[in-house]
Amino acid sequence: MISVTNLTRRFSGFRAVDGISFEIERGEVVGFLGVNGAGKTTTLRMLTGYLPATSGAISVCGFDVLRQSLEVRRRIGYLPESVPLYREHRVSEMLGFQARLHGIARGDRKARIASALERVGITDRSEHLIGKLSKGLRQRVGIAMALLPEPEVLILDEPTSGLDPLQRIEVRGLISELAQEHTVIFSSHILPEVEAVCPRVLIIHKGRIAADGSPEELVRQGGSANHVRLEAVVPDAEEALRLLGSLPGVSTVKDCGREGIHRTFEVACEEDLREDVGAVAAMRGWALRELSWRQPSLEQIFSRVAFELEDGQELAPSPAATAGQAANAGAVQASGLELSASAPLSGAGTIEVQGPGGSSAASANKPPAKPTDAGPKRAVFNLNPFDMGANRDLGAPKDAGPREDS
Amino acid sequence: MKGTLTIYRRELAGLFLTPLGWSLLFLALLLNGLYFTQYLELTGGNVDESLSYSLGQALPYWALLVLLPPLLTMRMISEEARNGMLEFLLTAPVRDSAIIIGKALALTSFLALLWSSNLVYGGLCQLLGTAPDWGRLWAGFGGAVLVSALFGAVGLVASSLTNTPILAAFLALIFNVLLISISYVGAWLGQRWPELAEAVINKTSIPNRLTSSFLRGALDSSDVVFFAAWTVVFLVLATRLLEARRWW
Repeated sequence: MISVTNLTRRFSGFRAVDGISFEIERGEVVGFLGVNGAGKTTTLRMLTGYLPATSGAISVCGFDVLRQSLEVRRRIGYLPESVPLYREHRVSEMLGFQARLHGIARGDRKARIASALERVGITDRSEHLIGKLSKGLRQRVGIAMALLPEPEVLILDEPTSGLDPLQRIEVRGLISELAQEHTVIFSSHILPEVEAVCPRVLIIHKGRIAADGSPEELVRQGGSANHVRLEAVVPDAEEALRLLGSLPGVSTVKDCGREGIHRTFEVACEEDLREDVGAVAAMRGWALRELSWRQPSLEQIFSRVAFELEDGQELAPSPAATAGQAANAGAVQASGLELSASAPLSGAGTIEVQGPGGSSAASANKPPAKPTDAGPKRAVFNLNPFDMGANRDLGAPKDAGPREDS
Repeated sequence: MKGTLTIYRRELAGLFLTPLGWSLLFLALLLNGLYFTQYLELTGGNVDESLSYSLGQALPYWALLVLLPPLLTMRMISEEARNGMLEFLLTAPVRDSAIIIGKALALTSFLALLWSSNLVYGGLCQLLGTAPDWGRLWAGFGGAVLVSALFGAVGLVASSLTNTPILAAFLALIFNVLLISISYVGAWLGQRWPELAEAVINKTSIPNRLTSSFLRGALDSSDVVFFAAWTVVFLVLATRLLEARRWW
């Protein structure tokens, strides 16, 4: 359906997109994920033919995007990030313009426009002036514009930006619904959204594909971070390390230090070994405080790619988990949103979560970074800048949420 | 063709849905009317001469022609590039040439509407007793519209050069002034090489070509071709620039 080979785009010396290749089959829903400036929009623009590639080839539905541009454009419904609409027109007029551009027969126009409006839930606004609509409503009109020609491929560039949490959920539902008939590509920097909707995720970082696969696959491949966390009163740390390390299936055991009388260990293993670890604790008579199974979420994998953290490092959990905290954290979080990919973070190297067929061993073999590397700098990123509230408590007051970018 | 028509309809609607279109039309028509009464008085009631003045023999026509198209074309590409509309148009299933031609046609229609006020003056004069020479009036009107298309095309070239609308308008304005003042350059040359100067003026001067044929009621094919060809040249240039923008 869509095949991209070695796509590169340079902007005056700077490589916005750097030799990426991927294939998308008919009916797939693919989420493009990346921090601001990672190359998502540039890639999508090249897919639509708006930007020509510096090198590389794109074919959509068997047509070359540059040479058979019109054929490709007929088959693509594209919602640019800026949601371009003529403000002086009414919603129905704007959709009528789109219908004529796509050569929809005069007789069908009314019905098609009505059905597109209904799908995005703005039938009652069809006679409103676009300039007078709120951002969220305009966003919906934009989606209706992309849907109207019933394209084979839908390309949506950040379709949920500027929407309130309820509308986000609706748009997510809409995308899932569309996925049944169309190939959908959409970009986002909101993780839970992509995780919820997309069976396939492409993480783009600095113009390259950092990861490609289903969220579960990516999590599995980042599996070196699976571990059982044990917090207990352990009299002899050396012995505990040896005992835990001898359990079958355990790759490494990390001593995370003492807090009061309790000592914390991270027992890295592929499978959930809580019972075994528990049995050792019971046998040695360690007073248990915590025994839990930890798996990295897609979020952590993404943060690692985005912040170029080493394997052992982790961003602190998001404090926006509760609404009250989110309210307090709002200001700091807003500044976090403006981080670009190039912000100097830890001095550590890139981890590579590789696509299907690649080996996940590469990341496991890297030594964990020295804690001193990450220690002082990590504090700045205590707040997770990628959680823009898509999974926050809907009962919370609206203004308590993190800032929307516009 | 269908795409051109769609763009044309949208642009024309756009011109009349914004206050800019209406206010420019209002001011231009007001000026046009005032000047026409002046011409009538100056020529001692000669309707044909007055209409010729109004359609290009006098300066106010050229002033309007130099000012209006840049103000209208700056919104057509430059501003659309800035607010993202161009991204929509360039990914819609229409050719780049259809976008440019549609916009140029819309602009020409708008200016034609403005010049058609002269037809109304002609009709009024006939009602009041002095019938104008309708053939000459229509030829003058046609010439005025042709020249408007040329200036519109120049405006579109300027508009596709830059993302700053006001800069686009300014560029177009300067270029329009240059176009008109070629004949003055010719006159200056005339002090030394009279034959060369005459040739330059006759071949290149837009006002001369309009006044010497259309406004006399004579349709000279060389003049029609001159205006049409240069309009096409500028439209092609604008289309190429629109294409080239993708690479910037």
